Amino acid sequence: MSKVVSPMVSGGPIGFLPVTVTMFLAILMLLPIGSGVANITMPNLALISVFYWLSSRPLLMPYGACAAVGLGLDLWLNVPLGLNMLLLLLARLFVLGQLKHYKGRNRIVHWAVFAVMAVALYALSWVIMSVVNGAIWPIRPLAVQWLVTAFSYAPVAFLLGRLRRWAL
Amino acid sequence: MQTARLSGSGAGARRANRGRETLWFYMLVSVVLLMLEAFGAGIPKQIRAYANDFVAPILYVLERPVRAVQGGLERLAGVGDIYVENQSLRQENERLIQWREAAMQLGRENDRLRQILKVPKREVPPAATARVIGVGGGTFERSVLVGAGSSDNVVQGYPVVDENGLLGRVIHAGRWTSRVLLVTDLNSRVPVRVERTGALAIAEGQNESFLRLRFLPRGTLVQVGDRILTSGHGGAFPPDLPVARVSEVDEEYIYLEPLGFLGQLDYVRIMAYQAVPDEDTVFSDEEEEPGE
Repeated sequence: MSKVVSPMVSGGPIGFLPVTVTMFLAILMLLPIGSGVANITMPNLALISVFYWLSSRPLLMPYGACAAVGLGLDLWLNVPLGLNMLLLLLARLFVLGQLKHYKGRNRIVHWAVFAVMAVALYALSWVIMSVVNGAIWPIRPLAVQWLVTAFSYAPVAFLLGRLRRWAL
Repeated sequence: MQTARLSGSGAGARRANRGRETLWFYMLVSVVLLMLEAFGAGIPKQIRAYANDFVAPILYVLERPVRAVQGGLERLAGVGDIYVENQSLRQENERLIQWREAAMQLGRENDRLRQILKVPKREVPPAATARVIGVGGGTFERSVLVGAGSSDNVVQGYPVVDENGLLGRVIHAGRWTSRVLLVTDLNSRVPVRVERTGALAIAEGQNESFLRLRFLPRGTLVQVGDRILTSGHGGAFPPDLPVARVSEVDEEYIYLEPLGFLGQLDYVRIMAYQAVPDEDTVFSDEEEEPGE
């Protein structure tokens, strides 16, 4: 027996849940958990959220929403404007292109796909930062954040899954 | 049936086309923004500062439970050591009372000598004391967001310290918030001197928890444990602020451990020090002149 989906889900206020949650997680990334030195270990919650919602409800996370979340992150994190915007747009492009290959597969496959996508996006962000700043950017902090983000995917996706089942 | 399928696929194709157009539009916007940043014509700093003001109230609310949990954990961890800590604090207090007397005597003597020699005082008044409400940069920048802005007389370029030493300087001042670039950031360069020898150098941030000492004169001997203070050169920071301690010396580099408590920032002091006028002020003055 299939679950009855409310008409509110796609077009009503509940339809904004993925974008709202992603924006909330983006703001959560700014919290001073351990402050300055520890900010390197804060996982990229916005990227996890975007990937999760695109994999489960792609229509509720359109290009405009990805661009808006990315722009907000660029402004709040004080990184070159357009960087996170571009990364989240590419994340959407990647997921929409590859979703047919991993949709319906188990969580470990989703996790692996996310890790591969994230490593490509972090590599691209390293190239962009090096070009924008005109100097080779250190790789180690970026690699550490990729690792932390990749490992954080499972618990964060689990919580998002609970929220999705409860709300949508 | 076939007509319906055809019209259905037509709507799908139209939607796909629209999606592709939207993607290219946003891609173009992001690439243009990145190119503006790369060629140095990025958006005005004030827009970033106001963006921080916008998110500050949410951060104020969200950071409370985080602080509460952190405080609770620290208290729990400290309960076991409370007796030993109390003993060492008593001993330290006795030593500090003696040091206080000596310091007060030296201070009085210093004041008298300054008066006689007509040397101006070097104390820098605080502009504001603010709470750290957010961090920034992720992997790319070491900065924090503090809850004081231009409404608290905070100006871009002001040095920021805690009770242990220099933390960084204000790079954007919004109305109610400011962004502080930490000394550990890759773009941070602090003119310093070695306290023991007086040798001048530059402390460079590495986007790591340590700094590196560079441009030290040849033949200067540096030991692990040496304190590094601001030299005051360049006018960005007042002289004699503690910055770091030498933590490791190898054949290639000298590594420094920041003295400011960067890992657990809570409250910070923003100092009203601006020896050199910042470039925004200079440019705005220059722009105003022809119209006068």
